[in-house]
Amino acid sequence: MRKKEKILSEYIDSLNAEIKPARHGKPAESAELEELMDTVRKVRSLREPAMPGDGFESRVISGLSKTGPIHKKGASSKSSAKYARKRVWQKSLAAVATIALIAVLAYFILPFGNSNIVHAMERSFDAVKAYHGILEIATIDGQGQETIQMVLDVWADKEGRYHVAHIEGTYDGLITANNGRTKWQKRAEEKSLNVFPAFPDPYRFAFELGKEIELAANAIEIREVGEDTIAGRQTTVLEVTPQGGLSYRIWVDKETKLPLRKQSGMFNAIQYRMTYKDVEFADAIPDELMSLSVPDGFTVVDENPVQLVSSIEEAGAIAGFLPAISLEAPEGFEIERIAVETETKTIKMYFISSSDGYEKAVLSLRRTNSGFEPDAMAVLGKIGDVDTEIILNVQDDLGTIPGGGVYGGSNDICSVRWQHDAYEYKLVANISPEGLTVFIKDLFGKELTIPAAYEEPQEGPMIKVPYDIEVEKNTQKSVDSGSSPWRLDPVYVAQVFVSLEMSPGGIEGDYPIDYDDLSILSNDGVNAIIEVNDPESPISRVYLERLVRQDDTGIWTVVGYDPAP
Amino acid sequence: MEEKEFAKLQEGDRESVEKLFASTWKDIYRFIYYKVQNREEAEDITQETYVRALDHIRRSDKKIEKHVDFLKTVSLNILRDRWRKRSRRGTMVGIESIDPTETAVEDSSDIVSQRELIRNALDRLSEEQRKVIELRIIKGYSTAETAKIMNKKEGTIRVLQYRGLKALAELLKNSV
Repeated sequence: MRKKEKILSEYIDSLNAEIKPARHGKPAESAELEELMDTVRKVRSLREPAMPGDGFESRVISGLSKTGPIHKKGASSKSSAKYARKRVWQKSLAAVATIALIAVLAYFILPFGNSNIVHAMERSFDAVKAYHGILEIATIDGQGQETIQMVLDVWADKEGRYHVAHIEGTYDGLITANNGRTKWQKRAEEKSLNVFPAFPDPYRFAFELGKEIELAANAIEIREVGEDTIAGRQTTVLEVTPQGGLSYRIWVDKETKLPLRKQSGMFNAIQYRMTYKDVEFADAIPDELMSLSVPDGFTVVDENPVQLVSSIEEAGAIAGFLPAISLEAPEGFEIERIAVETETKTIKMYFISSSDGYEKAVLSLRRTNSGFEPDAMAVLGKIGDVDTEIILNVQDDLGTIPGGGVYGGSNDICSVRWQHDAYEYKLVANISPEGLTVFIKDLFGKELTIPAAYEEPQEGPMIKVPYDIEVEKNTQKSVDSGSSPWRLDPVYVAQVFVSLEMSPGGIEGDYPIDYDDLSILSNDGVNAIIEVNDPESPISRVYLERLVRQDDTGIWTVVGYDPAP
Repeated sequence: MEEKEFAKLQEGDRESVEKLFASTWKDIYRFIYYKVQNREEAEDITQETYVRALDHIRRSDKKIEKHVDFLKTVSLNILRDRWRKRSRRGTMVGIESIDPTETAVEDSSDIVSQRELIRNALDRLSEEQRKVIELRIIKGYSTAETAKIMNKKEGTIRVLQYRGLKALAELLKNSV
């Protein structure tokens, strides 16, 4: 009896919170309980329905574009059916810079109602090949006091090449560049030149024009809020409500129709303002900036030394093993080169899309005898029946400059890692998850399964942990602006939760439970179960959920646990 | 709907799809919400309804005359599918089978009479049971808030709520 009362009460709480009750995805424990839940719904129908939040219409229309019912003009049935790849603007520009294609692509990524403004920006940017600007990044505090944090000299083109030099601020003298073949970072103070592979490159500099326009195209809402003059240029001020995070403003040049300034929303009494001064457009980034030269007195550090080989057999001879994989590139791709990381005996195969060269994939293979430990931030999927780590927004990879940070945005690089027969495979690619599934099927003959959140309800916790959704929403905003990044790591969140249960008075010194004693039982990107492998722990399993935002920027919250037996 | 307009919809023409969506989604959403009583699920099923409906339109030769009726049928099918999935895992009464007059919601006069039935049944509960159900379900207060308002313990509120709903279920069963 007591249990039924509790279940019924939780069911009402869930409906009151306008959240789908867990019971709607599970078999009812009894016909009686189901009848009572039905009665709850009937009584509740006396209320007016809670209508969807702002942006519902645009979300559905955007969803229809992505899932197929809205026809994507110009896409061949084969490519749309088989790959259904996410076509971000860079790809199309790198592929064929024809106005027709751009128009088609813009046509299906435009959010509902924002078409005119975004379309104007996209058309304008379409005519740009490369640009150069002085970018000033400032913070504004609660009293309106503005402080310039850094000034960057930015060169960028539409092929993804860039040259970013810090000319003022903490990192004065630092240069980061990628010419499509190599990426490097010059640190004037340390007189060092670090060299990285050109791909994968999660580095994103702040206020990249194409990225800004893409963000606007994917926004929930854009509205005009005024006019202003920036560095002598007349601008229209727009307020953008993105898919996740706080609203922000952009100032769009009335003449060029390109953004000149971006200002974040005020959070924790601070906001960021990024302004382009002296923007100019060019056909290309100057050659001298795109060629790697070592200044006198600088030390070169190769962060990822590899030896190029002419065949897989040659690679096998150096690495000491011959990989048992298809030597035929997946459909639509070709093998660009093969190399071996001599130090780690890792064979690397570089794939590139045959049509436009935009999509790239790097497959790394090495022998291993250590157990498979997936990254805490990863979604757990399968390749065939083998456990697989899937990371959909790679921020940091061996030998690359991390992306992200306060001004960073998400990128389209994902990685898949698994072990089979004493070998570890890792595929890093800028291919959509759907495209990656086809890529892996072609290469290995096995299906990649990415768990779909909410599809299969997980086993519920024995003890539920209450939460306040408003508190969680505020925490999400705080994490969005760079605080408490650990809330993005379900293992860390579980560690803190278990530790506080063990030391309710607070944690002094080390956590009573070690991070390594926690393992991920399941993680579909929205729900996760963490197992605690410590005999001292009063808890055996922790259940977490991404309550506020269900993507890799969403915080994890403990929603329940199982006590130790 | 004209032949030309329907053909454009079959082609997946964005403007036609947007027009159809803008003119129908509120009806469909309300219809689904009436069944599931939570925004998250109603949004989800509304979206799925349009995906399936447009897919059907694209593959079908038959012209759809009444869009709202057609979309409501599609959404009911989705609800039934979900119910079937659930019923495979255990014995239960599904969202659909609990309302033998499911099509009643398509007629606003039926909604009014259904609401009248519920109100009448509520009036026949004990004073305390009715108050708990009104506070918890119609006004949306938490157990703690309801306990505070009624000056009772949370456990007592849960018991009153359970008993009140049981009595209400019986009353509604007998009034159908």
